[in-house]
Amino acid sequence: MRKIFGLTAALLLTFSASVMAQDDISPARKQAIDSLALEKVRDLSKYISIIGNKDTPWSEANRVIERTLELFAEGSLMGVSSINREEVNYYGIREYLERLMALNYDKVTISWYNIQYISDLERQPDGRYVGVITIFQRFEGTTKEGLRYVDVTKKDVTVYVERKTTQISGRIIGFWDVLLGDIRVTETKPG
Amino acid sequence: MERLSKSSARWKSRARFAVMMLLVVSLGAGFSSCSSQKKAAKKKAEQELAEKKSKAKADLMAIINDDGRMTLEEKEFKLASVKRMNLDDQEIRDLITQAEEKLAAERSVIERRKEEERLKREQEERERELREGGPYRAINNSLDAVANAGDVSSANMRIREALTAFAGDDVPVLILISSDGGIKDYDRPTTIRKYLEFVKDQKKSPNKVLNAVYDASGKIRELELIKK
Repeated sequence: MRKIFGLTAALLLTFSASVMAQDDISPARKQAIDSLALEKVRDLSKYISIIGNKDTPWSEANRVIERTLELFAEGSLMGVSSINREEVNYYGIREYLERLMALNYDKVTISWYNIQYISDLERQPDGRYVGVITIFQRFEGTTKEGLRYVDVTKKDVTVYVERKTTQISGRIIGFWDVLLGDIRVTETKPG
Repeated sequence: MERLSKSSARWKSRARFAVMMLLVVSLGAGFSSCSSQKKAAKKKAEQELAEKKSKAKADLMAIINDDGRMTLEEKEFKLASVKRMNLDDQEIRDLITQAEEKLAAERSVIERRKEEERLKREQEERERELREGGPYRAINNSLDAVANAGDVSSANMRIREALTAFAGDDVPVLILISSDGGIKDYDRPTTIRKYLEFVKDQKKSPNKVLNAVYDASGKIRELELIKK
């Protein structure tokens, strides 16, 4: 009985060691995916400013909404806060973007800055890498009457990175699929 | 008078004898001093030779046992100096052979490394030429033109122009993010239409062409990009 237990333990150890060895990625590759995820958040920042901008043609804004949705994991939520209320509202990404496009301001300027990791991408038991990137968003809306609303919101973006493969022209291509998850508001103050 | 002349002759004879004896003694002394000088010179020469041999051996051992502290040029200079001495010593000849073999091996390693570096530089130059110039210059320029377009309508016009080089809007675009240890990692594959729109929206063209696959009619049917 003891022999069987020992043998099983040894096999399990060997198996887990080989799985770990396969999952290990070099620091250079890890750095590449870290940068890729940060780039996706920067891309999102640009898309949000295009959608919010009242000068963006309606058809362009709709096209950019579709591109923005491709950045997110299914069912992700976006937190929206205001200096005029306590609670944070959470919307599905499409709803958030459509509301952003329809905001009742004559001019909207949104900019993201200080985009950085607050929690490094870490490998999860399911093989995905998960991390959190924090951003600061400055929102400025001006009404037709010239009233200005400005706030600065700190938001945490959950990032999922998964290694996938696809076939292109008969070749198997390995790629890192970066998907953004929920974006949670952690702080809101007047701008 | 006769007695006086006899006594003078005796004195002369004695004086002559004394002079001769003095000459013999001084000659003998001179001969002995010359011989000891020669001996000293010979001894000095032998000592110098021994010192030369000892230094030559030390230099040769330093070349043979060098662990990289001396440059190849320094070692070659030392070896040449030893060889110029033309020392008749079997041990030194053997050490010279060993040193020559060691330097030849080092020289060949350095030359091989130089050759590898030269080939690498040429390869990088070819790749750079391919990426930045040659057949891909036009595609890179068209991507930059979209990014630098002043407004949406001119960007759309640049996109339409760029698309004429492609077999269709759905031509796959791969963006290489890392190539480490023979493993290539890409961003999520996209299409040329979406990529051009991305360039337009972001107002930047962060990647350049690494490789393009053409169809029979000269249109691009696959595009591989890499960060600039």
